[in-house]
Amino acid sequence: MNTKWSRILAVALALTLLVAFVPGCAKKTTDEGTGGGTEEPKTTVKAAMVTDVGGLGDKSFNDLSYEGLKRAEKELGVEIKVLESKEITDYESNIDQLANAGYSPIFAVGFLMTDTVAKLAPQYPDTQFGGVDEFFDPVPANVVGLTFKEHEGSYLAGVVAGLATKEKALSDKINDANVIGFVGGMDVPLIKKFEAGFIAGAKSVNPDVKVISLYAGNFTDQAKGKELGYSLIEQGADVIYAAAGAVGLGTIEACKEKGALFIGVDADQYLTVPGSGDVMLTSMMKRVDVAVFETIKAAVDGNFPGGTIKEFGLKEGGVDLAPFHDFENKVPQSIKDAVAKARQGIIDGTIQVPDKL
Amino acid sequence: MSETHEALPEQKPWMTLVQRAGAPVVSVLVAIGIGSVIMWVSGYDAMAAFAALFKGSLGSPKALGDTLLRATPLMFTGLAVAYGFRAGLFNIGAEGQLFMGGLAAAYLGVALAGWPPALALPALLLGAMAAGAAWAFVPALLKARIGAHEVITTMMFTYIAKYIVSWLVVGPLKAPGQIPQTNMIGVSAQLPRIQSLFSDATLEALPFLRLGRGHMGIFVALFFAVAVWLVLKYTTLGYENRAVGYNPWASENAGISVPATIIKSLCISGALAGLAGAVEVMGVHHRIFDQFSSGFGFTGIAVALVAKNHPLGVIPAALLFGAMSAGSGTMQLEADVPQKIVLIIQALVIFLIAAESVVQWFIQKRQKEALARAR
Repeated sequence: MNTKWSRILAVALALTLLVAFVPGCAKKTTDEGTGGGTEEPKTTVKAAMVTDVGGLGDKSFNDLSYEGLKRAEKELGVEIKVLESKEITDYESNIDQLANAGYSPIFAVGFLMTDTVAKLAPQYPDTQFGGVDEFFDPVPANVVGLTFKEHEGSYLAGVVAGLATKEKALSDKINDANVIGFVGGMDVPLIKKFEAGFIAGAKSVNPDVKVISLYAGNFTDQAKGKELGYSLIEQGADVIYAAAGAVGLGTIEACKEKGALFIGVDADQYLTVPGSGDVMLTSMMKRVDVAVFETIKAAVDGNFPGGTIKEFGLKEGGVDLAPFHDFENKVPQSIKDAVAKARQGIIDGTIQVPDKL
Repeated sequence: MSETHEALPEQKPWMTLVQRAGAPVVSVLVAIGIGSVIMWVSGYDAMAAFAALFKGSLGSPKALGDTLLRATPLMFTGLAVAYGFRAGLFNIGAEGQLFMGGLAAAYLGVALAGWPPALALPALLLGAMAAGAAWAFVPALLKARIGAHEVITTMMFTYIAKYIVSWLVVGPLKAPGQIPQTNMIGVSAQLPRIQSLFSDATLEALPFLRLGRGHMGIFVALFFAVAVWLVLKYTTLGYENRAVGYNPWASENAGISVPATIIKSLCISGALAGLAGAVEVMGVHHRIFDQFSSGFGFTGIAVALVAKNHPLGVIPAALLFGAMSAGSGTMQLEADVPQKIVLIIQALVIFLIAAESVVQWFIQKRQKEALARAR
């Protein structure tokens, strides 16, 4: 009898634990999804997005797109919905289901969905599609490609890095070598844009600077990112810019361990990567949220830019540098002035930033 | 305790049936039960969620097609892992063999464009099998010759395979354009969708044939499931495979070459995993790119576990996983249940089926005790 009761108790305990654990992680999404007040003028637009396999919580593209969606819910009163993808196979069925359920515009996040959007768009001519980071040729009439001038933001990051590597007062991590580093994810044209802008920016303020670029071959392998970080630091790099997704998280670790400064990418990584403050000089932000919000706003106003590729640059607020945060007081005015000057030059068009090497 | 003793003789056949086939069903039901409690506690409508899961996986011909689509690669990887398991080999690297199979199919599909389907389709499938088997051959040889554990070697080979594909799609085999992927394979090398085989009139008359994305690969998978079952049950090859799995020392004594059996077993396992890559390339993506598999090789381990390493059991097990995967989108859309909940229910199913062998062991122990006491 005794053992029987202890067994029942054990099962009950296990169940309680199970039940107690799950709500914490599960509940959040819908609260956010349905929470926002909608006293604003009502519209019948139902906007939705499909995440790539990274899913929500990636602190990058998917989360940023969702921010844009939530802002549209709050400010424009649109109904929103997010479908997360676990497998590549989910892309088509998720987009298909949203289109069938009357959502429009539907945002597909990430260039891996380009083909899927191109295939489904003609089947749903009355639905509007937005492809984040997707480039179409030709562009279907009901699709807008949302791309970014990453090279422009990276140019500013390059200006900061090119000057910072000579600024010994900035941090004890700055060495004598005039070397900075770049870590890329995959060796694809998109990432080359980052690299090209970064190098051009650095050379514009420090013509003799040596920029070493290394590629991880993917966007996920953090161990590889750390390894590449070590390698760059050993070769004398003291400021490293990573455009490599999660790979960059490993590079941040390398910077913390071996002593180098880091420039983040996509989001303001000072805010999204806990404990990175002592190496995070700034970040090159891709304002996916701005692009998504502006596109929904255009759809609500009835002028959805279908059939075009929109490029969001510095001028449109699509890319920008994040604040210096912990380094705000250490970064000399000369660097801030140089960034301001470069920014103005790009916006005026007096500085033409190359988008390939 | 006395009733256990009395009930023992007539309980036995019933017990075996429950253990063989019933237990996974019970596990699924219990998992759904626990899943409902979790959803209820988290504030979701469990009824609506399961209704959505059903609707998204079996509720319409199109949904059923999606389930078939997702079950197809899992059937192959499940068979691959199960076949290895039967010889006592844990082929954890099915994912790598899948990548090589997919790569072979993607390459041949472009190279053989223009061949008639009757030649192109078998050529691609055979090529993928050869590539998967070749990829399993080195770990198999290492295991057979020097005893290097296949869990380590096949896993390491998975990384190599993924990086090879990753390099090829960025470099030598990259199609023109922004996206790192290969060129599309020839139309004749593609596995057609099931619905495309019928005329519009037939589809009008028999709407259940409108299976959306479901493609012919499922029939290839079913064919191989039956074939593997027949091989295991009726051939010398299969007998040796099972014998080595039960007891390698006894098999050696009985004149079976254990090293040769290990090599054959892992290579067949690799060939089956290679087919999983081939059907994904030929039936779904029509090209290969960096992330074309969503861990089907690893899910295959779970499929084999649920199927209890029985080739025919792999069919319903893969369909179950396919259905859960197909329904998760609808669950998010219509019941506002996050995709993570579906994953929790999947994990519960695997956990309960794994735990079921513990229960079985416990029952057997009790039976032995009762028998001993009866004597």
